[in-house]
Amino acid sequence: MASIQLDNLSLTFRIRASGKLTMKEYVVKRLFRGKITNFVEVPALNNINLCASEGDRIGVIGHNGAGKSTLLKMIAGIYPPTSGYRTVNGRICSLFDIALGFEFDASGWDNITYRAYLQGETPKTLAPKLKEIAAFSELGDFLDLPVRYYSAGMLIRLAFSISTAIEPEVLLVDEVLSVGDLAFQIKARDRMQEMMKTARLMVVVTHELPTLDKICNKAVWMDHGTVRMFGTVDEVRKAYIRSVDPKGDNAKAAIAAKEKVVAA
Amino acid sequence: MLNQIREVWKYRYFWMSLVKMDLRLRYRGTVLGIGWSLLNPILMTIVFCIVFSSWHENADWRSDAPYFLCGLAIFNYFRDAITSGCQNFFRNESYIRQCPLPIAIYPLRTVLGSSIHFMISIGVVLMTLVLLLPGSGIERLIYLLPTLPAFGLLLILAWSMSVLAGFAQVYFQDMQHLADVLFQVFFFLTPILFKMDLLVQKGVGWLGYCNPVVWFLDLIRTPLLTGTLPSLEVYAWASGFTAVVLSGALIAISYLEKRIIFHL
Repeated sequence: MASIQLDNLSLTFRIRASGKLTMKEYVVKRLFRGKITNFVEVPALNNINLCASEGDRIGVIGHNGAGKSTLLKMIAGIYPPTSGYRTVNGRICSLFDIALGFEFDASGWDNITYRAYLQGETPKTLAPKLKEIAAFSELGDFLDLPVRYYSAGMLIRLAFSISTAIEPEVLLVDEVLSVGDLAFQIKARDRMQEMMKTARLMVVVTHELPTLDKICNKAVWMDHGTVRMFGTVDEVRKAYIRSVDPKGDNAKAAIAAKEKVVAA
Repeated sequence: MLNQIREVWKYRYFWMSLVKMDLRLRYRGTVLGIGWSLLNPILMTIVFCIVFSSWHENADWRSDAPYFLCGLAIFNYFRDAITSGCQNFFRNESYIRQCPLPIAIYPLRTVLGSSIHFMISIGVVLMTLVLLLPGSGIERLIYLLPTLPAFGLLLILAWSMSVLAGFAQVYFQDMQHLADVLFQVFFFLTPILFKMDLLVQKGVGWLGYCNPVVWFLDLIRTPLLTGTLPSLEVYAWASGFTAVVLSGALIAISYLEKRIIFHL
C-alpha cells in the first residue's frame, strides 16, 4: 500500500553565503565585532501538508525556485525535515537529475544492473526484465558503449526504462522527461498511464502544463516554499496560469502552441 | 545497529557490483592491468633491499625482501583506508543525492577495493617466503592460521577509519592534505624499513608501542617471518583499539548520516 503523508513539514537550509573566510577577513571582523560566520538560512519548505494515497498521480507546478525539487527530495527521504513529519509507505524510485547515479565508465548494460541493484533488485529478479528494459529504451547497440558517450536524451531513456520496469510503488519524477525526443515523450506518457492502472503513486514535477491532465489526476501549486493550492488538475492549472499571466493572452498562445505539437 | 547491517546486506548486490567495477576500471587501458598490483610492491621492495639493507647488520636480501614487502603492504592498506576514505562521500555524491541508502555502503566500497589489493600483496609476500627461504619457507605458512583474526580486525579497523576520514573531509576539507603529510612522516616512524630494535636503541621505543600499525605488523609480519605465535597481549591492544574506532564510526554515522547531504 503506497502512501505519502507530510504533516507541517518544514525544511531550512543553512548554507555558506560565499567561500571560506580568509585569515584577514576573520581578524578584521573579529576586531570590529562583526559576524564571523557567513551562514545564510534559506527556508526552502514551509509548513507543507500533503496527503496522497494509492492511485494518485500528482503533478507539481510552480515558478523556478519554488521548492518543487526540494519537495520531491524530501518525499524520497534524502533531506531530513527541520520540523514536521514525513511518512512514506512503499518502494520509492526517484528520477532526479539525468546523470545522477550513472557510472560513466561502465557500459549501458552494466548501468542497467547497477541502477536495478540500487533500487533493491537481485540478480534473480533482474534477469527476466533485462531484455524488456533494453527494448523499451530503444538504444540497441549503444548499450555496449560506456555511458559517458550518451546524450542527455539517451540517458533519460535508459534511466526511465530501468526505473519503470522494476515496478516501484512510489515514483518520483523531476522535470527530466522533457529532454527525451517526441517518440520517447509519447512512450513515457503511455507507460505512466499504464502504471496508473496498476494503482501506483506518482509525483511528477513538470512545466508542461498541457500534458498535466494526461498523466495526473491531482496537482499541487508550489509558491515560495509553501503549498498554495492542492486540488484537481484543471482548477490548479487555471489558477496558476491566471497568476502568472493575468491577461491570459500570452499564456494561452504558448499553451495552444504546445498542444498543437503534442496532438500532432 | 542490527537494522543498519540488515539494510547494508539488502543492498549487497549494489555495492558488490560497484567494487567489481572499481577493480576493473582501476587499470583500464593499461597494458599490464592487474599486474600493476603485483609489480608495484615488488619494485618497491627491490629498491628497499638495494638501498636500505645496510641499515641493520647481517643484511640478507632473502629475509629482508619479505620483511619490507609485508610491512609495506600493511602500511599501504592503512594509508589507503584513510586517504581514499576522505573522498568517500564526495565520490558517491550522486548516489547520496538520489537514493537514501545506508551511508555505510560507501566506505565499504572503498575498503573492499583496497582489501583485494592488500590480499594480492600478501599473496606475493607468501610466495617470496616460500621461494626465498627454502626449507623453512613452506612450514612458515602454517603460521598464517593464527594471523587470520588479525586480518579480520584489520578490515573492520580500515572500514571504521574510512568512515571517520570521509566525515572529517566533508566538514574540514584540509583533512586529505593533512593525512597525506602525516602518513609520509608516519612512514619513517614505523619499523618498515628498519627493525623495531632501532627505535628502542634510540630511546624512542614508545613510538613503536603506541603505533597501531606496529601492532598489526607484530600480528601479521612477525609470525610469518620468524615462525613464532602472535602475542595475545598485542591481540588485546589491537582488538581494543579497533573496538574504540568502530564505536566512533558508528556514533558518527548515527549523528551525521542524515545531515551530510547539507554539506556536500
